[in-house]
Amino acid sequence: MSSEVSSIQGKSISSKNIITYSLVLLTFLVALWLSFQSEGPSKMPKVVTDQFTFTAWVNEGEDYLKKNYRWITKIIASYIKNIYYFVEDFLLDSPWLLIAALIFLPCLIAGGLRLGLYSLFVIYFWGATGMWEPSLQTVALMGLSVLMCVVVGVTLGVMCSQSDRFENFMKPILDTMQVMPAFVYLFPALFFFGIGGAPAILATMIYSMPPIIRLTNTGIRQVSAETIESATSFGSSKLQLLFKIKIPLSLPSIMMGINQVIMMALALVVLACFIGAEGIGGQVWQAIRRLDVGWAMEGGLCILFMAIMFDRFSMSFSKTEQSLPSNVQKFYLLPQSWEKYLIARLIEKPLEFLSGLTNFVCINLTRSIAYVFEFCISLSNKNTARDIGEAITRRYYIIPSFILILAISFIDSYMISIGSFPEEWRLSIRQPISSAVDSLTVNPGFIAFTKALRGFVYLKLLRPLDIFLTHVPWWYTLGVFSAIGYFTVGIRFAIITALLLLFIGACGIWPQSMITLSSVLVSVALCFIIGVPLGIIASYNERFRNVQNVVLDAMQTLPYFCYLIPVLMFFGGGVVSAILATVIYSIPPIIRLTSLGLTQVSGTYSEVSRSFGGTLLQTLNKIKFPLAVPSLVIGFNQTVIMAFAMQIVTPLIGGKGLGLEVFNGLARSDTGRGLAAGIGIVLLAIIIDRISLAWTKKQREALGL
Amino acid sequence: MRLSKTISALFLSFVILFASLTQANAKRLHAAIADWTGGIITCEVAVGILEREMGYKIKQTVFPSGTGLWEAIAAGELDFACESWPSYAEADDVMFNEDLIYDGKVVKSYKGDGTVDLLGTTGIIGMSDYWIPRYAAEKFGIKTWRDLNKHKKEFATIETGGKGRLIGCPVAGWNCHDQKRLDLLGIDFQADELGTEAAAVAEAKAAYMRKEPFLLYLWSPHWFFGEFDMVGVGLPDYKTCAGDTFTEANNWKTCGTDGWPATGWDKDYTMNYGNPDTFAKPEHAKAKAFFERMKLDNLDQAKMLVEVDIKKRDVKEVVNEWLDNNPDKWKSWLPN
Repeated sequence: MSSEVSSIQGKSISSKNIITYSLVLLTFLVALWLSFQSEGPSKMPKVVTDQFTFTAWVNEGEDYLKKNYRWITKIIASYIKNIYYFVEDFLLDSPWLLIAALIFLPCLIAGGLRLGLYSLFVIYFWGATGMWEPSLQTVALMGLSVLMCVVVGVTLGVMCSQSDRFENFMKPILDTMQVMPAFVYLFPALFFFGIGGAPAILATMIYSMPPIIRLTNTGIRQVSAETIESATSFGSSKLQLLFKIKIPLSLPSIMMGINQVIMMALALVVLACFIGAEGIGGQVWQAIRRLDVGWAMEGGLCILFMAIMFDRFSMSFSKTEQSLPSNVQKFYLLPQSWEKYLIARLIEKPLEFLSGLTNFVCINLTRSIAYVFEFCISLSNKNTARDIGEAITRRYYIIPSFILILAISFIDSYMISIGSFPEEWRLSIRQPISSAVDSLTVNPGFIAFTKALRGFVYLKLLRPLDIFLTHVPWWYTLGVFSAIGYFTVGIRFAIITALLLLFIGACGIWPQSMITLSSVLVSVALCFIIGVPLGIIASYNERFRNVQNVVLDAMQTLPYFCYLIPVLMFFGGGVVSAILATVIYSIPPIIRLTSLGLTQVSGTYSEVSRSFGGTLLQTLNKIKFPLAVPSLVIGFNQTVIMAFAMQIVTPLIGGKGLGLEVFNGLARSDTGRGLAAGIGIVLLAIIIDRISLAWTKKQREALGL
Repeated sequence: MRLSKTISALFLSFVILFASLTQANAKRLHAAIADWTGGIITCEVAVGILEREMGYKIKQTVFPSGTGLWEAIAAGELDFACESWPSYAEADDVMFNEDLIYDGKVVKSYKGDGTVDLLGTTGIIGMSDYWIPRYAAEKFGIKTWRDLNKHKKEFATIETGGKGRLIGCPVAGWNCHDQKRLDLLGIDFQADELGTEAAAVAEAKAAYMRKEPFLLYLWSPHWFFGEFDMVGVGLPDYKTCAGDTFTEANNWKTCGTDGWPATGWDKDYTMNYGNPDTFAKPEHAKAKAFFERMKLDNLDQAKMLVEVDIKKRDVKEVVNEWLDNNPDKWKSWLPN
């Protein structure tokens, strides 16, 4: 009986599938027919686009704001700029040893010897590649942005946690802040806050604040009800409860937020070179301009190393100290598991001695200072003296650090000037990288390959899709998108989709947005073709996965226009290069989530399949893949969003579409044009994001996950 | 008691902050770094002299050239920028209110609102044209732009289909109007805008190394001509568009084939420009006088271009070397 029911259900599902597939096919065929009918690229009728002069409205609005309110933004900008210049001057004019100590000591204290040594390496790398100044400028910009993000973000997060209404009000704003490509507000920021540090910091705040607001909010909300109840029963007021119980308990979550803010701020600060902010971003951009791969690579590595350092540093605060039993000897530098090797023990022995010595010196130094202080103050007040003495003794790393830093600046100003990073220590990796790339560029076999690939991608994928999407009448595409929206999400979303697409069309940028869409689709398709197999290999081979994870981490931390040059060198300027750069940038999520999805499929399923005699391929095809679909779709979704984000920089190497419109808007100081195109990218990204998310949800529900 | 202490401490730190800021601002100028190597070198020469001889500290910011740069200067965000090419600055005609003088002769007069100050010519005289490699010119017998259509198939790429391809002006903000010019002259080519000088030149270099025919927009002085043998296609001589000039402000009105952009470019007496308020200040009078006298030679710039773009050396290093070796050339630019 039950088997009958299920077979009937199966039948109805498969017949439903047939209907769906034939509908899709029919829609496609009609679109194809329509596209062959049309003479040129489809556009909204001139009557509409001439009436809907969004560009002109924005420009008029901007002029009005500039005329009447610019003085306010100017004051804000000048304050931020002054603080930024102050920090920058301090960093650049200080002796390099002082800066090194200021970075090294906190890393050493917070993250142990491993992080300390790593930070020394990073500092050396900055200096050795001649990126000392730009690196510090980037640090200054990032530091200020993070500081302001934390102050504003934690406040907003606390407010969200206290009021549901405020939280509901903030949610859509935070969503928008995260989806909007930074370029869209980077340029208006330029017009209101001038060029350089101030707009960069403000734009960075917009970009990187959401995680800290969210994590503060959830952190506070997750404080257990029992804790709160016991605190209330002891008679603490609402404010006391918040500041003494809730915030301290949610500190790990807040620290996670700060960690994410740092990473995001670093990514945007690099991008801010487009609005005249100094730093490594500017170096990389100049390197791109001069096609100097080695130079760009050095800049990229500076950022990469810096990011890892700050990441580990801020992570060390949110991690709890793991304590080993005191009789087990603890390794300082190498992994504890290497204890069985003699060499490891030999390396660790002197380190152990050194650290013991440092500890001894630090503790005694601090104790004696504390004693002196205690003695001096105890003349007037005994209790305060003991408190202060204790407070000093507890911080036995910080006080010696201060002394060391003071000593350096004293030596610099009164004895010998230390100055900036010594020239003799320069070590450039520019030449080898550049010559390696150069030799590849003239290698006939390689060029034949790149040419073939270029031809294939352009002739077989991009051009047909470009022509198809631009030639299908706009109302038809709009209808198809709304229909997809209706079937996957619902009627409300279908209407919103239609309105958003109408907006794009009415702005007169329909053809450009279709070109952007086709570039994104081709890039994502290529990501899929390349990424899924890599993910499968990674899911079977752990060593491969580990290596791949390191590479992917690095790829995601490198500023994304670093990829532009090698691609440009090998594939020449043009649309195909733009696509390939997009693929490189947006492939990591799909690889990661494929391998994650496949490894997560529990062993029992594949065991069962194998015991029934399924081959490896069958298990993969019939069991693992269907179960990993939700994970795959999330990867696909992230890849799509990243591909859209990349559309903004690809015009630098010949990309077309909305990204180019944004650039042209900037170059002609036509904010309206740039903004319309930027919004177009955002809207397309939002529509596709929502549709694929809804689809994932349905898949999950169907699988009963 | 405690509050007043905090306040006084705060006050003190602010005083120190502002004191250090005002002190640092005394002889500071903020310049733009251009987006093509020639412009960067010219500016670096000016910056080098201002810093070495006149005690300035110059802050430099990478900024794409185009209208945005003019607005940044007018707003006082930047103090000066170097080597503007008059042909490329058409939309900015409104900004200057001065005559452009070279060797005592007025080469162009501007009647703008004076929100940007013309600091003087740089000495560099630029020329822009469309070029083809000599081997292609000889192989197909191309003498002028009129012969291009006959061989458009040879100049086509996979992206342009049946049309020939022009590796066009890379940056839209430069106002080259390549496609418009090609259409007006009836050249059946498609202009490709590759986004950066580097991209365009890399494309051309690769094509040259493979001995393929290609049509390239390029300006001189440029290192490309030192490395590769190129011939101009001799576009029609520059003619102004009488009455309706061709600018963004008048919605790209055009005189058809009677004037720009249906012609080649005019000879460009390039100029430095800056913020009028900055250079009206008495403390910057000497800097202004220096800019009036500056006169860098095309040949000198070309030599430095080779060092920078072909030998891949650092711009600052190359310019400093030139300053060290040629004091006779630039000492006369210094104000008395």
